Amino acid sequence: MMVLVVGCKKDKSLNDWGAQVPDPNGMLNLSLSAEPSLLNPILSTDAYSSEVIGKVFNGLIRINEDLKPEPDLATSYNVSEDGTIYTFYLRKDVKWHDGRNFTAEDVSFTFKTIMNPDTNTVRRSNYYINKKPISIIIVNDYVLKIISPEPFAPLLMSLGIEILPEHILNKDDINKSKFNFNPIGTGPYKFVEWKSGQYIKLVRNENYFGPKPKVKEILYKIIPDTNTNLVSLSKQEIDMAGIPAKDLKRFEKDENLEIFQYQKLHYSYIGINQVHPILYDIRVRKAISHAINKDSLVRSVLKGKGKAAWLPTSPELWSYPDNQNNIPKYDYSPEKSRKLLVAAGYEFDHQKKLYKKNGKELALTIFVPKGNKVGEKCVQIIQQFLAQVGIKLDIQVKEWRSLLKIINASDNPKKFDMVMLGWSLGIDPDSYSIWHSSQYPNGFNFIGYRNLAVNKLLIAGRQEVNIPKRKAIYEEIYQKIAFDVPYIFLFYPDTIIGVNKRVGGLSRPGPAGLMNRIEDVFVTKPL
Amino acid sequence: MKYIVKRVLLAIPLIIVMTFIAFLIMKLAPGDPANMYMDPSVSAQDVIQLKKNLGFDKPVGIQYVIWLKNILKGNMGYSYITSKSVFASITERLPATLLLSVSSMLLIIISTFPLGIIAGAKKGSFFDNAVTVLSFLGLSIPTFWLGLMFILFFSLKLDLLPTAGFMNPSLTNASFLIKAFDIGKHMLLPLLTILIGGLAVLTRYHRSGIINILEMDYIKAARARGLSETRILFKHAFKNAALPIITILGLSLPGLIGGSFIIEYIFSWPGMGQLGVSAIFARDYPILMGTILFSSALIIMGNLLADIAYAWIDPRIKKS
Repeated sequence: MMVLVVGCKKDKSLNDWGAQVPDPNGMLNLSLSAEPSLLNPILSTDAYSSEVIGKVFNGLIRINEDLKPEPDLATSYNVSEDGTIYTFYLRKDVKWHDGRNFTAEDVSFTFKTIMNPDTNTVRRSNYYINKKPISIIIVNDYVLKIISPEPFAPLLMSLGIEILPEHILNKDDINKSKFNFNPIGTGPYKFVEWKSGQYIKLVRNENYFGPKPKVKEILYKIIPDTNTNLVSLSKQEIDMAGIPAKDLKRFEKDENLEIFQYQKLHYSYIGINQVHPILYDIRVRKAISHAINKDSLVRSVLKGKGKAAWLPTSPELWSYPDNQNNIPKYDYSPEKSRKLLVAAGYEFDHQKKLYKKNGKELALTIFVPKGNKVGEKCVQIIQQFLAQVGIKLDIQVKEWRSLLKIINASDNPKKFDMVMLGWSLGIDPDSYSIWHSSQYPNGFNFIGYRNLAVNKLLIAGRQEVNIPKRKAIYEEIYQKIAFDVPYIFLFYPDTIIGVNKRVGGLSRPGPAGLMNRIEDVFVTKPL
Repeated sequence: MKYIVKRVLLAIPLIIVMTFIAFLIMKLAPGDPANMYMDPSVSAQDVIQLKKNLGFDKPVGIQYVIWLKNILKGNMGYSYITSKSVFASITERLPATLLLSVSSMLLIIISTFPLGIIAGAKKGSFFDNAVTVLSFLGLSIPTFWLGLMFILFFSLKLDLLPTAGFMNPSLTNASFLIKAFDIGKHMLLPLLTILIGGLAVLTRYHRSGIINILEMDYIKAARARGLSETRILFKHAFKNAALPIITILGLSLPGLIGGSFIIEYIFSWPGMGQLGVSAIFARDYPILMGTILFSSALIIMGNLLADIAYAWIDPRIKKS
């Protein structure tokens, strides 16, 4: 439905652009809301770095606008039937930005550097399957085999990490190398300069192996303040910016802008501590779920720009079940909520309008990270919803790092009742690190979710390489998780982006972004 | 001269103690750079290995000694987040901060003295009332709001000035004059925003200083001797009223390199404030310790300069 609406929009704008001519010397002005940490694909973890890295480097495979992998530095690749041998046939026409040829040595060097314990990377365990490392065999300069100790479906996406130049980094300490802020890649754009706190400038790679990029220069301005960023968009100092839902009306009137709305791979949720003296009881968790009206949250907090969520994946991913009738939904019904609380042994105190058990009020606390405006508004409304059924909810706004310290602590049980957060998902549906019981107390299963059937299915999901079979496994996982109410899934917020009409060649709006193929993006000549 | 040397030598143990306390406080803050991941693709083993690589598995005291040893060797370390050397990270941010803070400080000094003197001398006049009202306005308007209003008015409505940033990136190879002009254009709005807040504070101080001094006996005596009002004001009252201002200016010297986070944030000004604050949020200890080292040296220097200026303005201080 979403895609359809946006699809129509794009057709209209394509016609608008029809008459204009792409400017071969054009400059695309983009903005970053924070300084990238470093421009090295295996060391950086922030979105701002990835944004720039994606233009300068290539991986063996890339993700297209349909979120499907396709060969990038390779002409083709295949996976053996048992899912353990990946053979990549590399392109022979790829040159590094300094003119050297790209070969299988570079690929091997990149993976070995990640796997070296001295490298300050958090990507290492992606290449260890059940604690056994993958092996890389260079068949010749342009053929490479990667052998996994056992079938592991998410590995393919990990093999897509951007490749580093061996000839530049082989003698350097990669953790402190100047390369990290002066990168040399194979990508459609070459790095020109980085002025700290000001901008990063890229220029077209005239020797790019793919189609010649249409924009000559890309300038990333670093603009931390959202309001300043929006003024820059109105003033046409930048060509593209994210627009908060509350400001959408104002920007829809701007004749210079085209507005796109689409979904990223993200869901917001309330995590519930499963080893909590009150919340361990599934009836209480169900009661909380029945007390919350998700559609009303979407309407008020997101101004209708988003939709309610019922399970732990995004509708944009292939693993999203086609048929959701089997997914348990404990939807808005204060009536059911109250019944569940009574069943759980709570009594309603008519004076205080609260439920009580053994003389103790049913009072809970929710943590929300400071500065997350949507989250802060959301918990206030949820507080009202819970008050209506007779549950007292206290709100605590926590500085992000202090919140992480609590939920990432290694103690059991952890010191929280509920927490409002969101997950940004990867392209691969594997969610072992979030739901497997081994990922508690150390790991991202910080709520202490434990379901042995889900544990088994999570492992099966990683080992199965056949997509329809995998999809069936994940459907079962989502069904079981939704049944257990470890999280209250809240919503999928829309991403709203304003793009100056002088920019064309955008990809279909979706989680892969509007500039999935940067080579195709062009700017028209200024009048 | 001997006095100055002694003061500088005394400052060294002071700086060491200061950095040690700063280090402890930093380590008390929850989390460390390796504990900041909330990303399901990052595994717990990787975080443990990262901590080991960065030396967080060692006791805090040892970590401090390692840091201090490196400092004595002239090595300020490398940022955990950007892998850049701390010295380079600080020095690439310093010019923008100094440019903005020194020019705003100079403008504030130039305008605060006449405003304060006239308002103080003509207490209750229309001019004094106007200055008072404006100062209170300046004090009470929050900078983040004022900055945004300036951007909306001067940049978006009137289209006179660029929205934010330091210099137009297309001018990298332009001549010095063109660059300077462009930086000046970018600097105007942040400068104005700082000026309004900063001027208000100092003018209030200076005004009340002048008023107090004009009521002193020696001023009455000077009047009785028939000295002209201008001479009394500039020769007798001004120097004495300037003393507290010098203290305040000396104390604000470290602020010159610290930069103003809010101003830099709103105007995308590439200064130290943004560097420091993002280092705090990311728990980037090497960068934080580097900036603390820089600013503690400057605080001590600022105090020293203020003392010297005292002695120059009021010779009695030197004698005692």
